[in-house]
Order: sequence, then structure tokens, then C-alpha cells
Amino acid sequence: MIGPGTGMLGEDGIHIDMNHLKSGEVNLGTSIMAINFKDGVILGADSRTTTGAYIANRVTDKLTQVHDTIWCCRSGSAADTQAVADIVQYHLGMYGIMNNEPPTTQTAAALFQELCYDNKDQLSAGIIIAGYDKRNGGQVYSIPLGGSLHKGPYAIAGSGSTYIYGFCDAHWKEGMTEEEGVQFVKDALREAIKWDGSSGGVIRLVVLTAQGAQRHLYLPDQDYRGPGYK
Amino acid sequence: MTSIGTGYDLSNSVFSPDGRNFQVEYAVKAVENGGTSIGIRTKHGVVLACEKIISSKLLKPGANLRISTVDRHAGVVTSGLLPDGRHLISRARDEASSWRQTYKGPIPVHALASRMGGYVQAYTLYSSVRPFGVTAILGGWDSEAELGVDGQVGFGPSVGAGGKLEDEVVKRGGPGLYMIEPSGLYWGYYGAATGKGRQAAKAELEKLDLASPTCSLSLKDAVMEAARIIYVAHEDSKDKEFELEMTWISTLDGPTKGQHQQVPQELLEEAEKAAKKSLEGDDDEEEEEEEGDAMQE
Amino acid sequence: MFRNNYDNDSVTFSPQGRIFQVEYAQEAVKQGSVVVGVVSKKHVVLTAVKRNAEELSSYQKKIVGVDDHLGVALAGLASDARVLSNFMKQQSLSSKMTYGRPIPVERIVNMIGDRAQSNTQHYGKRPYGVGLLVAGVDDLGPHLFEFSPSGLTQEMLACAIGARSQMARTYLERHLEEFADSSRDELIKHALLALKESLAQDKELTVDNTSLAIIGVGEKNGRKKLENFKLYDGQDIAPLLEANVESTLADDADGEAMETDL
Repeated sequence: MIGPGTGMLGEDGIHIDMNHLKSGEVNLGTSIMAINFKDGVILGADSRTTTGAYIANRVTDKLTQVHDTIWCCRSGSAADTQAVADIVQYHLGMYGIMNNEPPTTQTAAALFQELCYDNKDQLSAGIIIAGYDKRNGGQVYSIPLGGSLHKGPYAIAGSGSTYIYGFCDAHWKEGMTEEEGVQFVKDALREAIKWDGSSGGVIRLVVLTAQGAQRHLYLPDQDYRGPGYK
Repeated sequence: MTSIGTGYDLSNSVFSPDGRNFQVEYAVKAVENGGTSIGIRTKHGVVLACEKIISSKLLKPGANLRISTVDRHAGVVTSGLLPDGRHLISRARDEASSWRQTYKGPIPVHALASRMGGYVQAYTLYSSVRPFGVTAILGGWDSEAELGVDGQVGFGPSVGAGGKLEDEVVKRGGPGLYMIEPSGLYWGYYGAATGKGRQAAKAELEKLDLASPTCSLSLKDAVMEAARIIYVAHEDSKDKEFELEMTWISTLDGPTKGQHQQVPQELLEEAEKAAKKSLEGDDDEEEEEEEGDAMQE
Repeated sequence: MFRNNYDNDSVTFSPQGRIFQVEYAQEAVKQGSVVVGVVSKKHVVLTAVKRNAEELSSYQKKIVGVDDHLGVALAGLASDARVLSNFMKQQSLSSKMTYGRPIPVERIVNMIGDRAQSNTQHYGKRPYGVGLLVAGVDDLGPHLFEFSPSGLTQEMLACAIGARSQMARTYLERHLEEFADSSRDELIKHALLALKESLAQDKELTVDNTSLAIIGVGEKNGRKKLENFKLYDGQDIAPLLEANVESTLADDADGEAMETDL
């Protein structure tokens, strides 16, 4: 017998509860990633939301803003990750008001981690945090299921990410231009979508630089070439 | 004093008809009788100093430290009722550690000042408590380095984070000096003084031109000046002996590496020696002037 | 009934910035019988004059052992001292359990200091009416602290509080230079002689009215070893009195010693 709703090791210590969502619960069976590039960070995600085999939403937005230039990519339970992102957004908003200076990406990462770690038994959330500020530049953090915090040059997560570890490792370059960065994320996510049954739909990107946040959209019926950004 | 006998000064949190809280003003009196404390802020760091009046020969010399470390990068010195000072410092430490717990990093000095100010102010709001009989000087250093998140694993790109702006406008850490009064009011300072000798100390601090962007005072200069100013401020209560206590916080590449520490013994002694000498010098000058005057007559 | 309007409680400042209730509590310390503390490089001694309510009653407890490395002597309200020393016993024990070593003296002193301070800032509470001398040994050696009702704690080389303690303090100030290098016996002698200074004209130090405690840094096989808190009370203190305050006491002590022996 495996504990309910946690995705943790079962009593036998060997088997993992892979179907930890309640029946009918909406899952972000997902491909998400974020990377550092020359001028900041780029976040990317597919747009498929599933309830079991049923695609509940084919144009989901998994890139969530928690402050002006701090965003996150959500994977796992849609409800859990929305709730966590909402709480962090509130705290970062308060931080900016109370301290007369915007919160840093570190602050956001710390808050996300605190919530994910303290409530690890209740949550199924895998979150990537990426942010830009003038002092620290672009930063990418990843918080996988247990609530640990990892900083990296780039991060990939979600069920689709398993298919693109090799791709990313082979194609990753440090200090890419924006154009190269967008292409890298797009190509990686295309690959993830191609192989992962729980990922699909459109590709959404957010580019975070000193100029602020800019959204991109790439549609499958345009072979993920456009429309791009406005 | 108009406050006495009106009845408006008998309870905290009560306004007099002209809008004053006398209990807070009386708390300030407790501060004004306490030993002098000062803080000096320079580009290179912060120096805190205080005058410890030796109330008894039986006190252990060099013990009973009055300047406390609140977090690795911040220190507090108080004037007024010493136990109240310890209470406030203990709260400041709690604030610093709770910040660390939430945000996984050191509390910015301005945020610590704000938390301390808020706490002190709360003690002016209720008749069930009395205000703090202390004024606290908080000195600290916000790290100019890029800080990670406590407990994080891994690093960013080896070429460094993308898109950092190197222009002057972006704030990258630096010194902080704040003074928190019994009302909860606090301001940032270039040079702060409180306690019995504050007037003399302020006059001396103003001469240092600390607010000027061209101020060339090094951190060691600030230590020497702090010692001298405490000695000058002590002139009015010369009959009592005192001990000088000093701490400092420097830049990350300075002597304390951004941490709040006791000024090393040799430097403290050097500063005290120079301070005593400069006071003797003043006396000599006066005498000389007097002689000069006499000759003119 | 009240001296002025500003001394009804400990949450009211006087126009001069004083808190009378705290000052009055400090008067209570002066009502208590005298206690003396002295510290050397190796030892710290507490000694006290005990009072009895009447001829046939027992004597007060003036010195309390808190832990092997820690003890307090009190002047003032004994019940307040018991609250504080019980608190210290708990803290010392729990600290030893958490950190696996005896609590540093300054730390536990600050704990009672902080407790006493909160009693001076909140309505409905009263300041503690007791002064303590806290003696202890830790990694940094022996320490002596004075604790007062205001919550002020100060580390001292020597100290005396309680009734007529000024006389003892004068003795201590006069001999201050000698304490640091005093031997165990010499330190005990200084403590008892200081205590004696504070006695009223018609009083003597006797086995009944004198308590003394000592803690020290001993040595074993060339390594530092704690000499545990030891209290000399009743007959145990007779040899100390004989050795150190014999001059004025010789006759009496002999007589009394014989009586008690019977």
C-alpha cells in the first residue's frame, strides 16, 4: 500500500506512487525549462494540461509572473503550483512595498523553497524560478519534488524533460545571444513535445532582460516558427 | 516643565492637549543621562564607539561589553538604561535570524533599522508598557558581493550571470548607520551620537564632513576620530573614569571582511593614545593662546 | 501614601527619566543581610551572613548551588531568588543536554537579566526584589557577576551587596590587587574578612550565621579540571572561621564549638 497523494516512496521503500493525483485532478504533465543567456534569462514551456488521458487545456500558460522580472515555470499539480505561485507573488509584492526596493531572484527562490519544503508531504510541485535584476543579472533556480534548491546555468523539468537531457547537454552554450537562446529553448521544447505524450500544444517563452519581460508564442500549425513576439 | 501636575504625563500612550506623549519624553531623559555612544559611517565601513563610565572599581576591566553583534554584518550600541538596551538587542537578533529563516540571506541594514524602529514604537502605544529608555545606534554592512540563497546547490553559468549592469546607479551593498530613538523614530546618519556627551560629539562629527561625497576619511581614520570624539565628549564628566569600547565593520576586502567585530586591541590602544594626546594638545594651545593674549596686553 | 505620582508602578518614567519602582526594589536588596563574592585566576568564592528570625529558629539559606560549576548568593527577597535560581537550574540542565557542556556563566546571567528586565517594562508585573551574586566557572575561567532588580548584570572582580555592604566593598577595593593571584585559602580569607567588615558592632561570624561556597579550576594530570561547587555550612565552616577570623573570635569559637560538640 502506497501513501496517498504524495509521490513518495511507499511502505516497501521501493515502489513510488506514480499516480499520486486524485482522480480528476489536473496535471501539468509538462515540458518546462529556463536558461541564462547574454542579457538575461529565457523561460519556456509547452501548453498541455491533462486529466488522465484527457487534455483539459491545450493552450495553458505555465509561465507565471511573481514579480516584475521574476517568473516561474510550473510543473506537477496545477492547483498546487498555482497556489504556491500566488503565495509567493503576494510575499514578493509585500517585500517590494515594505523595503522600498524590488525583491531579488534569490528572495523569490528562498520563498518558493520554503513553501515547497515545508509542505512537501502535501504538494506535488516541480518549479523553475528565473529572474532578472540589474545588480545580479539573470538567474535560474530549480526546485524539484522534495523541496531542494538548485542554481544552474539552465534548468529543465516536467515529464518531458527526461527526453531532452541529452539534447540540452549537447547543444548548450554559455553566453548565447537572445536569438540563439530563443532558438535553443524552442528546439529543446519541440523535442520534448515530440517524445512526451503529456506535453504538447503551443510553445510559450518569456524573455527577461533589463528591458523588462517579453512574451513569445510559437504555434504547432506554423511549425513552431511563429508568430513569435509582438 | 508644563508636563508635571497636569496628569497627562502619568501614563504611557496618553496624548497631552498639545499632542505630546510625555512618557516618551521622559524616556529620552533616561537616555540623556547615559554614557555617550557614537557611530561613524564612511565609504569603507562603519565604526561604533561608546563611553563606559566605570561606576565601581570592583568592575572587571575589559568585561561587560556594551556593543553587541546582532548578525554577522551588523552591530548595535545603546545609551540609556542598559537592561532595556539588552532587550532591544535581543529583539534585533530575533529579527535578523527570522529574516535569515524566511529569505535565506542576511537582513539589509535598512530593513533591520525599520524592524527595530517598529518594535520600539509599539512600546509607546499601550498604557500597559513603558517606552524603551534607550537610543540605539545600528551600524552594518550590506554585502557588495552577489549572494546566493542559503542552502542552495550549484552555480549559475561559468561566464557569470547574463545582463548585469555595471553602472553606478545600481546599488551594490555598502555601509548603513541608523539611530533609533525611544519614540521609535529612526533616521539614517553619516555620523550619529547619543547619550550625555552627544552635543559635543555631534559638534565634532560635523567637522568631519562625512556627508560630502569627497570625504576622504579612511576606516582607520574613522576609528581614530571615534576614539577622539568619545574622549572629547567625556570632558564634561571628567571626574568619572571610563573605558572606551569600539567595534567596526568594513568592506569585504577590508580588515573585517564585511563582519561586525571588536576593533583589535593594538589599534584601540593606538587610537586612545592619540585621543589623549590631542586633548592635551588642546590644553596646550589654550594655554599658549592665553599667554599670547597676555603679551598683547 | 505614595512619595509622588511617578512611583506607583514600573511602567512609569519620572520626569527625570527614572523608574522609582525599580529603585525601590533595589532598596529591598539593601534590607537583606550581606553577601560577598571574590574571584581569583583559579577560584571564585561566595560568602554570606545568615539571619534567623528568632533565637530558636533556623537560619536563612543565602547561597544556592545551581549546578556543579555554578552557584548564587542572594540578598533581598528569598522567594524571588528561589524563582530565579530554579530557573537557572532548569536552564543549566537543559543547556547541558542540548550542547553537551556546562552553560557559560555570562550566558545564564544574561538570561536572568533579560527576565528581570521584562518585569520592569510591563504593567502588572513587579521588579524582582533581590540582588544576586552569581559565581561560576567555564572555559574562560572563574567568573563573578552581580545581578540587580533592574536587570542589570555586570561582571565583577569582587562584590558585596546587602545591608551595610559598603564596609565590605571598602575592604574589597583596598585589597583588589591581591585577589587575582590569591591561593584558594587566601581568597577564602579575603572573602570572610570582607564579610566581617560589614557586621554590626555586636555581631560575630559564627558556624551558625556564616555560609561560604567555592568553585574553582583545579588540575588533574596537567589538565584543567573543574573543582565542583562546594558549600561550607554549619560545622563544615568551623575550620575556615578558625583559620581566618580567629583573632576576634578565638574565645567565643572555642566555647561555642564545645557546646555544639555536646
